[in-house]
Amino acid sequence: MDTDTDPDAAAPAASSGDEPQRPTRRRWGVGWIAATLVLGLVVGATLGLLIPHLRTPADDSVEAGFLRDMSTHHAQAVEMSMIAHANSTNPQIVTLAGDIALTQHQQIGYMQAWLRDWGLSPTSSQPPMAWMPDSAGSVVNNLMPGMATPEQMAELRKATGKDLDIQYLTRMRDHHLGGVHMAQAIIDSSDDEDVVWLAKTMVSGQQSELALINQMLAQLQQA
Amino acid sequence: MSISSPGPERNPSTVKVDKTSGQGKPPAGGAKPAAKAGGGKPGGGKPGAKGKGRKPVTPVKVSGGRSWGPIAVVAAVVLVAVGIIGFGAYAAVQGGKSWEDKAADIKGIVNYRAQKNPQIDSQEHKGGPLTYVTNPPVGGAHNSVWQNCMGDVYTEPIANEHAVHSLEHGAVWVTYKQGLPADQVKALSDKVEGKDYLMLSPVANLDKNVALQAWGYQLKVDSADDSRIDEFIKALRINATKEPGAACSGGNTATGPVTAAPNGTSMNK
Repeated sequence: MDTDTDPDAAAPAASSGDEPQRPTRRRWGVGWIAATLVLGLVVGATLGLLIPHLRTPADDSVEAGFLRDMSTHHAQAVEMSMIAHANSTNPQIVTLAGDIALTQHQQIGYMQAWLRDWGLSPTSSQPPMAWMPDSAGSVVNNLMPGMATPEQMAELRKATGKDLDIQYLTRMRDHHLGGVHMAQAIIDSSDDEDVVWLAKTMVSGQQSELALINQMLAQLQQA
Repeated sequence: MSISSPGPERNPSTVKVDKTSGQGKPPAGGAKPAAKAGGGKPGGGKPGAKGKGRKPVTPVKVSGGRSWGPIAVVAAVVLVAVGIIGFGAYAAVQGGKSWEDKAADIKGIVNYRAQKNPQIDSQEHKGGPLTYVTNPPVGGAHNSVWQNCMGDVYTEPIANEHAVHSLEHGAVWVTYKQGLPADQVKALSDKVEGKDYLMLSPVANLDKNVALQAWGYQLKVDSADDSRIDEFIKALRINATKEPGAACSGGNTATGPVTAAPNGTSMNK
């Protein structure tokens, strides 16, 4: 703190010209403290407003990308499972399809609700899988890994009997493999507790379903 | 915000312009955008600026050099503060925009929800062919079966009665004038295919090349390359739903008009 700085000396109009150093210094001190307090208040208030936004993932975050893409990915699993649930005559298939449809539809609800909580749009104009490292080339016609083509979906809708069951299991196996791959990518790149928790349940749940699907496929193809 | 005790105001401001030709500039530059964004929030920057001009040029003192340290610190603090305030204001303005606001920003969009037209607002299920007040429709009574909207690309016209039910579920329905050049149709189907809560179909008697529908909203444009198409989809897809959680799968996948059955559920699957 200097005694002889003019900005401060100019401040109080009533200050007499030749003052001893101490009062000047005190004026300095008061000025600085007040300035610091005001600045501190402003910065603090701004941070307070910002922190809720800073603590949740942003619009271009990997979490938002994952939740949006996985919602779309899940929606197709629901679609295929509802078709199998309606058209299959195999109780094992009906049970599995109902289980997958209900689980994945509910998980879409979790994912959409988090986006909403974070104040983010449920969709984006980003291409699918843009959030995922090394995903180049994995998207064909906007379809993420494991997703069925429109032609495959049309075939599934028409199928009946054992043909339907085998088609459904085959499509679902590919679908789960793609989904597990995506879920593992977010587990590796996110530290959001909720998102990582849900992704881990997807990995474990779908991996155990994959084992069941493989077993059912082997049975059907032998029969 | 502006606690205008002379001390604090004068000091930072003096620092900013008068004394520091070097460090003073960044804060001054930084202050301007913030002042725009924050709408006068940064109380420290502006009022002080007036004071500066009035001040007579002080005699150059040797001792002035000694105050560089605190001046630099204050300049840095002010710069950071202004940056935080500016960013905060920007984030608040951008992040606070609802999807309705984003939709309203799209040039040429028509918000039919604002009209409070009962014929458009009705969510009733009715069988058989129905008439709609807009072409293509953006809402109103509809068939109990929705049109599958899992990124389906329909190459023939679909029934309004099913399509409106898809809008109710949160889909954006992209339509084009039947006979639109193949490259334009391809550009549209590239935006739609494989994306749930979207579907594409031609319309026989459309007055513009491309029309986009969400529940209660419509945008008509001349070209499939119009950037507003993506804006419309981003703002309204899923957001415009009247039934959160309702699916786009499990709907009708056939094209063509509804059958005039009294109970109105036309063929499904």
